[in-house]
Amino acid sequence: MGVLKAEPAKVHDWATTSVGAYWRAYDLQLAIYALLLAGLGLAMSYSSTVVTGVNPLDPSSNFLRGLMWSGIAVIVFIAATFFDYKWLKTFAWPIYFVNLGLLALSLVIGTGVGGAARWIAIGPLQFQFSELAKILMIVVLANYLAERHDRLGSLRVILGACVLMVPTWVLVMLQPDLGTSLVLAGILAGMLFLSGASMKWLGALAGLVIALVPIAWNYILRDYQKQRLLSFLNPASDPQGAGYQLTQSQIAVGSGGLFGKGLTNGTQDALAFLPVGDTDFAFARLAEELGFIGALLVFVLFVVLLWRVLMAGYRSQDRFGTIFAAGIGSLLVFQLVVNVGMVIGLMPVTGIPLPFITRGGASLISLAIGLGILQSINIRQSRAEW
Amino acid sequence: MVAPGIVDERPGRERQLVRFIVFGIAVLVAVSGLTARMVYLQLVSGQTYQQLATSNSTFQQAIPSTRGLIYDRNGLLLVANLPSYSVKIRPSDLPFSQRATVVAQLSSLLKMDPADINTAIDGNPGSNFDLVRIAQGVPVATANLIAEEHLALPGVEVSVDALRHYTEGPLFSEVLGYTGAIDATTLKQLKSAGYQPDDLIGRAGVEDQYETQLRGSYGMETIQRDATGRQIQVLSTDSQPVAGDSLTLTLDTKMQQQAQVAVNWAMKASKLKSAVFIAMNPQTGEILAMVSTPTYDDNQFAQGISNAQFQALLNNPDKPLINHAVGMQFPEDSTYKLVTGSGALADKKLTPTTLVQTHPYIQIGRDKYWDWNKRGFGKINVVTGFAHSSDTFFYQVAQMLGIQRLAYWARQFGFGAPTGIDLPGEVAGIVPDEQWKQDTFGQAILPGEVLQAGIGQGFDTSTPLQLLNAYAALANGGTLYQPQIVRQITGPDGSIVRPFAPIVLHKIAAPASVFTTMRKAARMVVTSGHTWNLRNEPFVVAGKTGTAEFGVKDAQGRLPYHNWFVAFVPLHGDVSKPDSQLAVVGFNEDANTVGNSATEMVKYFLQIHFGVKHDLRMFNLMKIGDFYGGN
Repeated sequence: MGVLKAEPAKVHDWATTSVGAYWRAYDLQLAIYALLLAGLGLAMSYSSTVVTGVNPLDPSSNFLRGLMWSGIAVIVFIAATFFDYKWLKTFAWPIYFVNLGLLALSLVIGTGVGGAARWIAIGPLQFQFSELAKILMIVVLANYLAERHDRLGSLRVILGACVLMVPTWVLVMLQPDLGTSLVLAGILAGMLFLSGASMKWLGALAGLVIALVPIAWNYILRDYQKQRLLSFLNPASDPQGAGYQLTQSQIAVGSGGLFGKGLTNGTQDALAFLPVGDTDFAFARLAEELGFIGALLVFVLFVVLLWRVLMAGYRSQDRFGTIFAAGIGSLLVFQLVVNVGMVIGLMPVTGIPLPFITRGGASLISLAIGLGILQSINIRQSRAEW
Repeated sequence: MVAPGIVDERPGRERQLVRFIVFGIAVLVAVSGLTARMVYLQLVSGQTYQQLATSNSTFQQAIPSTRGLIYDRNGLLLVANLPSYSVKIRPSDLPFSQRATVVAQLSSLLKMDPADINTAIDGNPGSNFDLVRIAQGVPVATANLIAEEHLALPGVEVSVDALRHYTEGPLFSEVLGYTGAIDATTLKQLKSAGYQPDDLIGRAGVEDQYETQLRGSYGMETIQRDATGRQIQVLSTDSQPVAGDSLTLTLDTKMQQQAQVAVNWAMKASKLKSAVFIAMNPQTGEILAMVSTPTYDDNQFAQGISNAQFQALLNNPDKPLINHAVGMQFPEDSTYKLVTGSGALADKKLTPTTLVQTHPYIQIGRDKYWDWNKRGFGKINVVTGFAHSSDTFFYQVAQMLGIQRLAYWARQFGFGAPTGIDLPGEVAGIVPDEQWKQDTFGQAILPGEVLQAGIGQGFDTSTPLQLLNAYAALANGGTLYQPQIVRQITGPDGSIVRPFAPIVLHKIAAPASVFTTMRKAARMVVTSGHTWNLRNEPFVVAGKTGTAEFGVKDAQGRLPYHNWFVAFVPLHGDVSKPDSQLAVVGFNEDANTVGNSATEMVKYFLQIHFGVKHDLRMFNLMKIGDFYGGN
């Protein structure tokens, strides 16, 4: 178990660096790419609000709610930038237990579709703490791995990281939220890989996970989850259920063509052929309305954002910053590939949101925290090479 | 330069950098893969998916045409279209788990038996994605309630349909028929003609016979719908519906009402279970009135009859769903003597003055064939023989003709074949001859059967309409017309699609003198006092009664019987002229009356029709009792 320890050096750093230096180190590109992606998400939210016949300026509309979350996210992003990320190392363990507490609370008082316990109501808003859990676990893992950077070749450290993840993973699975639990696994793998853990042991671990698949299939996955995975392999097996989603989502994407049908002109979601067109399948709607050009823009923005994220890690003055950036990068890549892959029929339906594009306050706020911390890392970097 | 307090982490950094680069390359590869797939979906297959998206959300829907109206011969509206609310279910949108709840709710809202709703859903003639009609003629308040509760009633839809309204109620039911939901077999046959699974179709009578003309043709429109099948908007009208043609019947509402009054009185006075009355113009074949009781209420069908009500009609032994005037056949009995007499005159077996000795009975082998008058009538000619309905006279005439000639003359008068009237379900009747006997029983006609055939008993049967048509030919001097019920067809723009024209089936191959003689004989039936209850009336009637035995003998060895009276009214009271414009037939099935109730029924009709002020009816003749002793 870790020990709380103050690190006065940070105060010193803060005090002795000029505001101009901070600003020069601030990554404006990262902020702009994130804002552009969030803007695209808002545009899709606007479109889905308009076609359902709701006034986008109605206080209860998804668009206005999204706009409000975006505002909060910007504030959170700025606040996180000013916050000295090095304190995270100090508070890694409290953060870990707060995270578990919030997830446990979600299980007790959370609500969701079909008996799931995902959202906790905060006033008129709903918040999904499993989204925040991704960022919090990145913090905890980054701290854990940075402290043990000299022992990354040992199986013990790798297993320790896995063990650290298990309680969170179990609590998320209990909701049940297959999507988030997969993202957590993806983050863990990405961080272990990027922090430089032994490839030998990582390979062995990956082999073990594959060997455990039949056990997971029989004892962990629920019937509807299995159904979704099966219908990916054979969409015709369930044309009205998960297979239907896949088919309709590909029709939506394909019918967008090069330039798309134009914002709010999509028919697949508007006429309810595309289920959850404003959440998990938001990218299908985007591809239908904004076409190949719009989809490509999303890909490019994600790639350049990822580049800035990895650059922040690369330039970080400490191991924690590097591995934290690795975590955020893993999160973005994993969710991008799995969500878009699902929409365009390359991956099974798993309920993983597309960052920025899928509507959802918790996801946006969590991203703002993550990217804000990266900016905090950026402006506190040493100019030195590694 | 390394910041103070930070451990130099240089060892391992290189490895980490390699990992970052590998990761970056993996990301580029993955995103390239996604892009490749997007290129395939959006650029290569874009057109295909665009079509799929369009066919997803659009579909062709029929625009119902306005069904043609039906008028009586004087232009009085008999069948109108009323806009009304229908409740329909699309089974694919009704989850099985919720079906019981939804059916229970609909049952209480529509005041319907839940079994009927389930039967309708299960009997759906179309696919699960097609609408099934549950109820029609639903009150506005109920329709609104159901429409508002659509969230609690998945798959249930309310629509406005045009329902048939029969303005005269059941007065014309057996002729007009009704419309009802199309069944699966019919739908299969008519799908190419544009029929829809939730369509209404003529199911009986004129509504059935003239279905094609009345329906017109449906239009087509392309509509956009959402995934639940809800209509969003009409994208285009591909073809306009064409309204159906309207029909003008030959029927006269006034005469139909008069006939109805007469039939209802006879039914009540003699406790009859079933009766038929038909009036016709012998000069054209137009049917002026046609009543068959018991009948049904066609409005009940139009509103959507319940299963229980329909089963009750179907199982009624008196067959209210069949138009007895054309759909059932009975022995003609003495009315058939027209065929025997005319045939013998035409074949010159008799002259009008040839006398034939009548007997109490004719014996063939050990069987005695009795005259109804056990004393016989002495030596009489054909006119007297017909007037008194002497059985032994016509037994002997039948023997002179033989079964083949008898059958020939029967067919000349239209027996043994459908008249071709424009009503569904007409039956042919039976005219026995050697061939028929061989085909049916595998043996030759027996001598006794020839005698019976001469007086319309034994194997002979016909519909009331066939019998009326034979006497109409007598009344007009020998022309057999095809009876018609629809006089004229008018297009939706008012143009005449089919004007009225009489249809001659054939001229009966007998000289005019034969018909003059037989008309005189028919008049003498009344004047001689055989049918004495018609003798002193203010209108001149010529005709023939019949008491047709059928079925099984009772304890006293008596057979049950039907009563016939078929007659015509000469235009100016002179039967020698073939100018009658009114021929009628009355038929009382299984009557058990003291007198011939059919004669009284016809008489009452004529009394009302000719506006006779005093009541001519003889109530004692209508009483239940033994008829034998008079024919």
